[in-house]
Amino acid sequence: MTDSTPVPDNEIDDQGIIQGVEQLSPEKIERIINEVLSEETGAKLKVYVDTCVHCGLCSEGCHYYVSRDKDPKFSPAGKVKQTMWEIMRKKGKVSPEFIKQAAVIAYTQCNLCKRCAMYCPFGIDIAYVLSVVRRICHRLGVVPLYIQDTAHSHSVTGNQMWVKDDEWVDTLMWQEEEARDEAPNLRIPLDVEGADTFYSVIGPEPKFRAQLIYQAAMIMNAAGEDWTMPSMPGWDNSDMCMFTGDYEMMERLKKMHFEAATKLKAKRIVMGECGHAFRSVYDMGNRALGWKMPPIPIVHALEYYHELFSQDKIKIKHKFDRPVTLHDPCNIVRGRGLHEMARSVVNSTCKTFIEMTPNREHNYCCGAGGGVINCGPPFKNARLDSNKIKAEQLFAAKAKGAEVVIAPCHNCHGGLEDIIHHYGVDMELKFLGDIIYEIMEKPEE
Amino acid sequence: MHDIYAILTGPLAWLSFAVFLGGSLYRFISLYQLARKKDGAVFQYMDLKFALRSIAHWLTPFGAKNMRMNPAMTVVTFAFHIALFIAPLFVFAHVVLIEESFGIHWFTLPDSVADILSIIVVLSCVFFFARRIMRPEVKFLTTWVDIVILIIVAAPFATGVWVFHQWAGFPTMTLVHIFSGELMLAIIPFTKLFHMFLFPFTRGYIGSEFGGVRMAKDW
Amino acid sequence: MNTTVKQMILLFLISAGVLIPSFSFCDDYMNIDEEAFTKKQRPFVSFNHDEHNEMAGLEEDCALCHHMYEDGKLVEDESSEDMACSECHAKENDPKQMELAATYHKRCRECHVEKKQGPITCGACHKKVK
Ligand code: HEM
Ligand code: HEM
Ligand code: SF4
Ligand code: SF4
Ligand code: SF4
Repeated sequence: MTDSTPVPDNEIDDQGIIQGVEQLSPEKIERIINEVLSEETGAKLKVYVDTCVHCGLCSEGCHYYVSRDKDPKFSPAGKVKQTMWEIMRKKGKVSPEFIKQAAVIAYTQCNLCKRCAMYCPFGIDIAYVLSVVRRICHRLGVVPLYIQDTAHSHSVTGNQMWVKDDEWVDTLMWQEEEARDEAPNLRIPLDVEGADTFYSVIGPEPKFRAQLIYQAAMIMNAAGEDWTMPSMPGWDNSDMCMFTGDYEMMERLKKMHFEAATKLKAKRIVMGECGHAFRSVYDMGNRALGWKMPPIPIVHALEYYHELFSQDKIKIKHKFDRPVTLHDPCNIVRGRGLHEMARSVVNSTCKTFIEMTPNREHNYCCGAGGGVINCGPPFKNARLDSNKIKAEQLFAAKAKGAEVVIAPCHNCHGGLEDIIHHYGVDMELKFLGDIIYEIMEKPEE
Repeated sequence: MHDIYAILTGPLAWLSFAVFLGGSLYRFISLYQLARKKDGAVFQYMDLKFALRSIAHWLTPFGAKNMRMNPAMTVVTFAFHIALFIAPLFVFAHVVLIEESFGIHWFTLPDSVADILSIIVVLSCVFFFARRIMRPEVKFLTTWVDIVILIIVAAPFATGVWVFHQWAGFPTMTLVHIFSGELMLAIIPFTKLFHMFLFPFTRGYIGSEFGGVRMAKDW
Repeated sequence: MNTTVKQMILLFLISAGVLIPSFSFCDDYMNIDEEAFTKKQRPFVSFNHDEHNEMAGLEEDCALCHHMYEDGKLVEDESSEDMACSECHAKENDPKQMELAATYHKRCRECHVEKKQGPITCGACHKKVK
């Protein structure tokens, strides 16, 4: 059933971290830490660290802790103890070896999913505290190699996957052409000024999952949407810099994205089925740019689908007839409360819906989020061992009859795919868009 | 004995109240100023309605999922915190001392009830201690400071019970009682016990974030 | 023995149990102002008036405790041995007589602390009945 042996926690096989640490000196560590602590943090961090009564009640909130046989090192407060408490207690006088461990913990042992904030009686936001640790590691140049590569791509190309400008337009045109076989009048309108809807996606879509752009175009077309996509950078709404702690880059990326939409005078941004990208435009990026709420209405694909069905903009031929279950992605459920809309869409499109438990706000993260999956192969086995509970949750839904898992989030897809394979869960994984595309009435002419 | 008593109930009592109130005020103001300077966004997202909604859920026994997952802890911690406030505020001995010094008094509990509440506090501390050394996830987070704080919190209640029942050496124990009570008050601003004042703010903030921005429940 | 006799004996024993101890105390010890405290919480303070004053050298200074106030002012050279403290210090409608209790406490303890003698803690006066 398992195709891996657990990697011992102290053996790190990541050149980004190893080489980063080699370049550190205690003086540099101390200086950078104190810069981050005194200039970039304030009362919030202090209160979170000082208020914690060390009660351990947040433990059950974290899928790492639960999956790792309740190893206290993986509890939320346990991770803070090994990182931020120590950093603050020693006022930054920590060793390079310590930073190495801290980077592994902060980047690969927390999905920043904020589930634990609902379990701590004080609502201490552990994800925020560990983000500060990531920020320190980023400033020290100690970041896992694979995710740093995506961050580099962001800074060079404006997208996550080294997609070149012409490659992007080519991909859109190619998908348009394909789709016209099915819907002869279909267009993927580029750079239309004043469209109702500006549609943006994440870098991996044109790179690996162009089919999703095809499907989205089919849906928009069927719904008669007045929509557009940009031909220039700003089309990618994803953001790995947010997760590496490169907040300057995060700001640039979000600015590009918002500006691409506002330049075209779009009324709103509709985004594809991605959780972390939504977090970056709705929660973190906008704030970093000084917007309390996003400067232009942001609509996640799920909300958009809900709109289609509640306003009868789209017809279906029949309901999807295999029993489905739904994974509530943290970033749009704990991040935006879309869980009831998700259920409404699932019920409008699928015959049999089986809840997994826990669900809604209390769903377990897929284990991929927060950039953890983007840390790549060196941490893959550890990631899968750290989410046994997700496999159990899926098995339980399967036992109740579910055959298909709907996960309206790219990261979740990646994470769940690995879990389903690793633990032999044997369920099929789908986006909501896959299902809608499959069952909708496609206008013939 | 008489001299120590005079010091404990005179200057030291004032000192401990002053440290408690002054220290709390100082910490409060400095945190507020730091927040104003560095975490301006916090004030933007704070929302009274959602803050109170979250606080209400977390002050209701079994009002949050985690409380239902840990029923023993929930019962003990509610009993502990309620008794912790009620017993010293309404025990006859304290109120009569206040009356003696300031000429004001208020409702008092029958001694037997105050006694039971105090015993609840002591037993709860024993429970917390046991949890600290037996549950690995709590043990991992525990430092000697946590244990010392637990002892300091239990001490005024344990000695209060001792004195009330007039067990051996109770007159001296009264002095220990007074001292430990003063010590407990004085350390509140400078230890994790300050959570009593920060709770509404940490809970309120995450409640506001979840309620106002994330449109989700946080309990 | 029939039931009546049994009941008689029982009644006798009970009265003896109650009366004998109280008689034996009543010469020297007094329960000050007992009636004023309708809702008693602590064992009553049994106060040996003469012994206390002899030890404290207070035989001549009755007015130290048995003072007399008029319009809020202490009246020199007057004393109030013939009155109960509660006549002035008790509050109506307070079964616990908080203020009266506080008055006693202050009177006794302040002096004890000053002279560094005598009981100062609750239990040293309100001795538990064994
Ligand atoms: C200025 C400080 C204090 C003084 C002078 C003081 C004095 C006293 C006295 C004289 C008693 C009566 C003992 C008896 O019944 O014979 C008492 C009881 C008690 N005290 Fe304090 N105390 C102080 C601070 C505290 C504090 C800070 C706490 C707890 C937070 C506390 C908790 C209690 C409790 C719970 C009892 C009742 C015990 C029982 O009836 O079983 N005290 N105190
Ligand atoms: C409004 C006031 C307060 C609130 C809302 C509050 C809330 C909490 C909460 C949520 C916990 C978490 C762990 C648990 O559930 O037991 C806790 C723990 C604790 N509280 Fe409080 N608290 C308050 C006041 C106080 C005060 C005044 C004291 C003592 C002076 C105190 C002493 C403790 C101790 C010792 C623990 C830790 C138990 C352990 O060691 O595990 N609390 N409190
Ligand atoms: S993974 Fe989620 S639950 Fe675990 S510590 Fe991180 S934010 Fe908390
Ligand atoms: S539940 Fe909250 S207070 Fe308790 S250990 Fe975890 S973070 Fe600290
Ligand atoms: S990948 Fe999905 S489940 Fe995981 S953190 Fe992101 S939204 Fe949550």
